[in-house]
Amino acid sequence: MSGSLLFQSLVLGVLLGGLYALLAAGLTLYFGVMRVVMIAHSAFLILAAYLAWYFNKETGLDPLLSLVVTVPLFFAAGVVMQRLLITRLRPATLTMMSVLLTFAIALFIEGMLGFVFTGTQRRINLSYSGSDIEFFGAQIAVVKLVAFGLAAVSLALLYVLLKKSRFGQALRATIQHPQAAQLVGVRTDRVAGLGFGIGLATAAVGGTALSLDATIYPSLHWHWVGPLMAIIVVGGLGSIPGTAIAAMVLGIGQSLLQVELGTTWAQTLFYIALFVTLMVRPQGFFGGRLAQRF
Amino acid sequence: MPSASDTRRAPAPAQDAAAGPPRGPLSTGNVVRGAAFLVAAALILLFPALAPNPFILFSGVIVASYACTATAWNFMGGFTGYISLGHAAFFGLGAYATGLLTGDLDWPPFVAWFVAGLIVVVLCVPVGIAALRVRGASFVIVSIAFVLILLLVAQAWADLTGGSNGLVVPRPFPDLSRPEHHRAFYFLFVALLAVMLLVWWAIDRSRFGAGLKAIREDEDKAQALGVPTRDYKLVAYLVSAFFTALAGGMYALWFGDLDPIFQFSILLGSYMVLMALLGGVRHLFGPLLGAVIVGSALEFFKLEFGDTQLHLVAAAVLLGIVVLFMPDGIIPAARDLARRFGPQGTSIREMTAAELLERNRAAAARTQADADAPQSKEDRP
Repeated sequence: MSGSLLFQSLVLGVLLGGLYALLAAGLTLYFGVMRVVMIAHSAFLILAAYLAWYFNKETGLDPLLSLVVTVPLFFAAGVVMQRLLITRLRPATLTMMSVLLTFAIALFIEGMLGFVFTGTQRRINLSYSGSDIEFFGAQIAVVKLVAFGLAAVSLALLYVLLKKSRFGQALRATIQHPQAAQLVGVRTDRVAGLGFGIGLATAAVGGTALSLDATIYPSLHWHWVGPLMAIIVVGGLGSIPGTAIAAMVLGIGQSLLQVELGTTWAQTLFYIALFVTLMVRPQGFFGGRLAQRF
Repeated sequence: MPSASDTRRAPAPAQDAAAGPPRGPLSTGNVVRGAAFLVAAALILLFPALAPNPFILFSGVIVASYACTATAWNFMGGFTGYISLGHAAFFGLGAYATGLLTGDLDWPPFVAWFVAGLIVVVLCVPVGIAALRVRGASFVIVSIAFVLILLLVAQAWADLTGGSNGLVVPRPFPDLSRPEHHRAFYFLFVALLAVMLLVWWAIDRSRFGAGLKAIREDEDKAQALGVPTRDYKLVAYLVSAFFTALAGGMYALWFGDLDPIFQFSILLGSYMVLMALLGGVRHLFGPLLGAVIVGSALEFFKLEFGDTQLHLVAAAVLLGIVVLFMPDGIIPAARDLARRFGPQGTSIREMTAAELLERNRAAAARTQADADAPQSKEDRP
């Protein structure tokens, strides 16, 4: 592998890792606030991508503008989903049953997408689709840069929200110790609902970012479930910094392996990382299981 | 001296209405259950003769294979409470191993089938050890990841598996016509199912089964009480994997064409969970009942909405309803309903202490009289 190719894949890996970090942050939020494993996250991702594509097809405007609609919509959907469905599950079996319930939601979305938009593969054509930027000898597609910028902005917003706002304080308290949070007057059920909404809003952003640069089809979400799950396990379930580091490391690793092995075998990196984590450190490599900090 | 608190010693007299139906080998409950079992068994065995056309017969084979996979899933899910969404991995491995052994190595079909099951068990030992280190959510994630990685490998390793072009498995009975072929495999699947049910029944009554159920109720306490939880879980996992692999191998021999997308499908793994949960994971025939209901429904949905993706939506709604409203399954729900309309059992609290004492005394006097009667006859000169 030549030096410039190595640098190119490294840069692409960082861009990819940023997107992964945003998507996995949502999963970590769900797990933190409700101990819920949200299989449907990647299905919502594809749904957002489809909405962006449809928006672009109908109006001809930039798909990024669809965020104005999809982000509030997904936020509301998250709150409703948590309040109407997830809280109905019995606490004793919540974790297991939430997997099945969100799995059903994922299937539902996949089936509806297939029904409404058919199984045809779709792609957005943008004026800047083909353009590249030269960066120290590496060619970087503008769409990838835009997607990364979107992810970085959202992650920064998420960080500020969690660290600086009063709601963020309540959310972190709910994640760390729900009973104690209730004792000091945090309405944990409401906070959990809003946290769920925020998680789903990140899926709206991530899906739109994805739609800029990917060919989408209804069953695509299965390709995302595995890597995202691997990231949150490697990062330590519930820890947002751990998730971000794991996303970056695995994104870069995948990008580097892709050059030598091709896309399919490079994907196995995620699963190998997952199994190694479970064998060596089941609580995750970065940050503990349900780490106390953000 | 019988006392009011001495409830165990008093045998309930048959004519005492408050005591409910008599409990014995020939009680009404057992007779009804036995009759239902015989009728169900007869229906299952007569199905190929009753099926009006080959398509229904074909669907019957599919439902029988679903019943096998759901029952095999229940060795793990039902006993230990570990919900695996990835049992399709064992199904696919068993199918591919059978296909490769018969196709590439020319082994006799049913030898290959059984050996494939054993190979899958050996392959699953390290996976099981890794997966069972974690509980709850992480276990489900690992089980999903296992299917996804095998799907990737099966698609990428086209030299071995044929990739997306598929792998053709030679038919074990080349002389049979298509309906006869379906009929033969229907009975093979039913026989496999019968073996599984027997093993499940035996484990359910064994010390091993009691240990597994202790893990399901409270793993930490089970461990504290001296149940070797890790070994028990691993054995249950391997038994489950073995039977799922056998079901997959049987499917390979029957269907004759394997494609990674359908063999290593999360959908198949989730159907197993749906079937087992719908019927009731704590019951021997729960997964079978669930497979008959869900399997028929899925076949119907595919027939009706095959061109669109609506069959996925239908399956999703079904799964959501089961998870939200009857996570214990149909069998317990039906039993509760029957209890509501059936004869009401009396609990101890509905009887005063004085009444209970009176009843115990009467019962004790009766047994005393029964014991005395033959003796006095023999004593008579």
